[in-house]
Amino acid sequence: MSNNIYLPHLVTIEDIYEEAPDVRSFRLVFKDKALRETFDFKTGQFGLYSAFGLGESTFCIASAPTRKGYIQCTFRKSGRVTGGLSELSIGDTMGFRGPYGNFFPVDEWKGKNLVFIAGGIGLPPVRSVIWNCLDRREEFGDITVVYGARTVADLVYKNELQHWGDRNDVRLIQAVDPGGQTPEWQGKVGFVPTVLEEAAPIAENTVAVTCGPPIMIKFVLKALEKLGFSDENVYTTLENKMKCGVGKCGRCNVGDVYVCKEGPVYTAAEVKKMYNDF
Amino acid sequence: MADRILKKENLGKLVASVNGKGGRFIAPVLDARQVVFKDVARAEDIVSDYILARNSYKEYVFPQTEVVADFTVEKHGVDLKSREVEARETVVLGARPCEATSLSSLRAIFTWDYIDEFYTKREDTLVVITVACTKADEACFCTTVGLSPETKTGSDVYLLETESGDYIVETMTEKGKAFVERHKAAFTEGGAKAKALVMPEKIGTIDLNKVGARLKDKSHYDDQVWARLTRKCIGCGACTFVCPTCHCFDITDEGTAFAGERRKNWDACQYDTFTLHASGHNPRHYQYQRWRNRFMCKFNFYPEKFASKGCVGCGRCIRVCPVRLDITEVMEEFSR
Amino acid sequence: MEERLRKKAKELLESGEVKVVIGYGWNRQKTRTSPVFITDAAEVDRLVWNPLCVNNLSIYLTRKFKDIQALGRPAIVAKGCDIRNIVVLITEAQFKREDVYILGMACEGTVYRQELWKGELKPEIMPTKCHNCDVRNPHLADFVVGEKSSFTPPEAPAGMVFDKIKAIDAMGQAGKWAFWINEFSRCIKCYACRQVCSLCYCERCITEKNMPQWIETSAHPRGNLSWNLTRAMHLVGRCTFCGECERACPVNIPLNLVNQKMIQVVKDAFDFRSGYDEKTHPPMIVFSPDDKDDFIK
Ligand SMILES: Cc1cc2nc3c(=O)[nH]c(=O)nc-3n(C[C@H](O)[C@H](O)[C@H](O)COP(=O)(O)OP(=O)(O)OC[C@H]3O[C@@H](n4cnc5c(N)ncnc54)[C@H](O)[C@@H]3O)c2cc1C
Ligand code: SF4
Ligand code: SF4
Ligand code: SF4
Ligand code: SF4
Ligand code: SF4
Ligand code: FES
Repeated sequence: MSNNIYLPHLVTIEDIYEEAPDVRSFRLVFKDKALRETFDFKTGQFGLYSAFGLGESTFCIASAPTRKGYIQCTFRKSGRVTGGLSELSIGDTMGFRGPYGNFFPVDEWKGKNLVFIAGGIGLPPVRSVIWNCLDRREEFGDITVVYGARTVADLVYKNELQHWGDRNDVRLIQAVDPGGQTPEWQGKVGFVPTVLEEAAPIAENTVAVTCGPPIMIKFVLKALEKLGFSDENVYTTLENKMKCGVGKCGRCNVGDVYVCKEGPVYTAAEVKKMYNDF
Repeated sequence: MADRILKKENLGKLVASVNGKGGRFIAPVLDARQVVFKDVARAEDIVSDYILARNSYKEYVFPQTEVVADFTVEKHGVDLKSREVEARETVVLGARPCEATSLSSLRAIFTWDYIDEFYTKREDTLVVITVACTKADEACFCTTVGLSPETKTGSDVYLLETESGDYIVETMTEKGKAFVERHKAAFTEGGAKAKALVMPEKIGTIDLNKVGARLKDKSHYDDQVWARLTRKCIGCGACTFVCPTCHCFDITDEGTAFAGERRKNWDACQYDTFTLHASGHNPRHYQYQRWRNRFMCKFNFYPEKFASKGCVGCGRCIRVCPVRLDITEVMEEFSR
Repeated sequence: MEERLRKKAKELLESGEVKVVIGYGWNRQKTRTSPVFITDAAEVDRLVWNPLCVNNLSIYLTRKFKDIQALGRPAIVAKGCDIRNIVVLITEAQFKREDVYILGMACEGTVYRQELWKGELKPEIMPTKCHNCDVRNPHLADFVVGEKSSFTPPEAPAGMVFDKIKAIDAMGQAGKWAFWINEFSRCIKCYACRQVCSLCYCERCITEKNMPQWIETSAHPRGNLSWNLTRAMHLVGRCTFCGECERACPVNIPLNLVNQKMIQVVKDAFDFRSGYDEKTHPPMIVFSPDDKDDFIK
């Protein structure tokens, strides 16, 4: 078929990183050489990744568009497809279609301070923005990253966290939930929303980006409000179940909003205006 | 000018002509004590005394199972082949005027920025031949959603039954004209008197504008009215499978670990796993929330987002529902 | 009878003994009955009783309906055959006898399908189960509404379903296979048969288990057969022949034939019939929904 919107591109797994228990990242390159050169996307967009024989799963593109030639995804093993993907090794073939959805309006943020707040497996989409902004570091003001997970082992991108922590142009605050710390743990102990409030980033001329479990997002939004952030300057992503990614299969909608086509990136102001269909 | 007539005795000619030219002829036939749209090889099998076929003919443009690709998993990698839709003339005879309007709704979804060619290629070669209704039942409510047996939009060819069982032919679109031209041997000229059409009574208490306005006010999502009116729904999904505008599907791989097919299979918002997240969270935890989505889809998403009809008033969902959940009763409530 | 039912329902709601009465009401045109949930004593007049009351409302007592359970203790309007399903649910520990108030209806039979009703209940529009019914006088109830029925079922079960089973049994192996393949080929995998059955109450049906994929989701001969056989096997020794699955099937697959055949097998092998005694457990638990075994759960 000349144009089969459901047909994935074949990609090769070039590298695998164990991030945390049941969480791993794949570095993927397109088999099609021409596509390797031309493939482009924006931060916040997602794709559908296939394990052939098992189906497709939705993950964000966790690498930054400023890094060409490959894409990266990070996923937690949680079902049939992610289970199948976990069994693949370096050199194996899988499928990818995308990029789909809208993106973080990074260009509009020029000259502003940025605060990134992520929990658990919510870091991948934020990571794409962080690298994108770090690769254009001079265009932005202060950059703060608040990242928490249940336990130390559950923190993903440990190497990168270390790298961000070592940089003097990034303020990194790491946290684990009470009880999740190890004796060596140097970061904070507490829930992300509380840690965020303690860190108290200034709201003026600042954009906040938050991703993570729904319950965390709910409290982070409250904390940001307390800190004086306006809903227009707070961005988050909605992660509804998706199958087609292109506005056809009818399952990702929150009321009349099709997250795959019109999202997944929304400001808190937009989220508050939606039908209560969460 | 004399009308073009499709004589009862020429129906066989038409079937043969379509099938003979490599096309596919679909019409209502009796199968397991029900009238359903099916492939027809002999005109004798076609039923003319029916209200609506149980199924919608959407399955001929949007099949219940559609293979979109084949794959084999081998040592060196994966072999992936795209499927092609073979465009061939598909004729649906005996659609009703209400359901004929549903294709533009489906098209709106399947061409929303991304073009689903599995749908469009099939629809491009589909000829909808409507037979205007001379009978209706208590589930029919086309007039309440602004349609009627006289509605001709959506039909390529519009037929009126005559007293003698023949049809008066009116071509509505270029596609319809070309169809009649292509199979002209089956049509004759002449004059005939059409049977009177039925006019289902409009449900006077329902005002679609009011329904639309109330659905736009987002506070209704938390209103107990949904639980009250629709908690009897058992989530069987039958209403969505028979509905001419329901478009939802799942994408799934089937086969063995080494070779298989990627398929697009009908799915529906009425099923409890439809929106269930891998985390266990389900945004629509209760059945009435799923039903609310169906109603929203018909009377908000389709009209507001896609400027098309979500419900054509065919009444199929009412007839097929094992708990007789009547969508017009909910429309009435939202018309208050 | 209707008046008696409404009066009792009113009493129950007013005294607070129950919080909801699950019964039958009219549709807008008063041509079909449909389930109603009465929570307000002022609304008991919505309750109706007539031969169109075909639905087996026991489905609403199962855990699939959490919002109904949240309303509080239910009273349920139930025919004897519906009560058989309630009995099975009690023996399978889905709830306790005292958790539900049973308004048993003395019954003279119902229609097979509501659309057959032309104002009179004639034998030819009644389902096979009614012609052989031995529970027209409810066998387990807190309150019985209506006059005692004097109907006695025939010695040897009779009716369309039994005739068809005999005819199919006579077809021989190949004939039988062909018959069922043809019937199941129409299946559209909508699972209405499962959704309507009060005994199919598993929260994760095997069809939704995708690790591994036990049952393919596409509607095609292989998948259909595995689904229809699975459904039948999971209901062995439990199914009461209430007929809801066949009524709900949008493509008219004669599921009653499958169910009755299974019932006969169980009766011949174990002399057991489900749904009569809430204290006796089925003799051969081939299937326990609460089993921890992964194959089942
Ligand atoms: C825009 C977007 C971006 C996302 N980005 C990421 C990301 O970067 N990283 C990430 O990890 N996730 C991400 N997700 C979430 C991710 O898509 C899902 O968690 C993942 O697809 C589920 O895994 P699966 O496909 O293997 O599950 P599937 O096997 O498809 O299972 C999912 C569904 O199957 C059912 N199911 C499967 N197994 C069971 C079982 N054992 N018991 C009961 N039910 C079961 C449930 O209905 C469940 O909802 C994102 C989602 C969206 C929408
Ligand atoms: S919602 Fe019901 S009445 Fe409306 S088009 Fe669909 S099946 Fe027909
Ligand atoms: S969302 Fe529901 S009502 Fe709308 S098209 Fe899909 S299945 Fe039909
Ligand atoms: S047919 Fe009736 S019971 Fe089945 S899902 Fe639709 S409304 Fe619910
Ligand atoms: S007849 Fe059907 S619905 Fe009734 S108990 Fe048996 S399987 Fe369930
Ligand atoms: S109700 Fe009928 S069509 Fe639907 S799954 Fe059951 S047997 Fe198949
Ligand atoms: S994922 Fe299919 S419509 Fe959004």
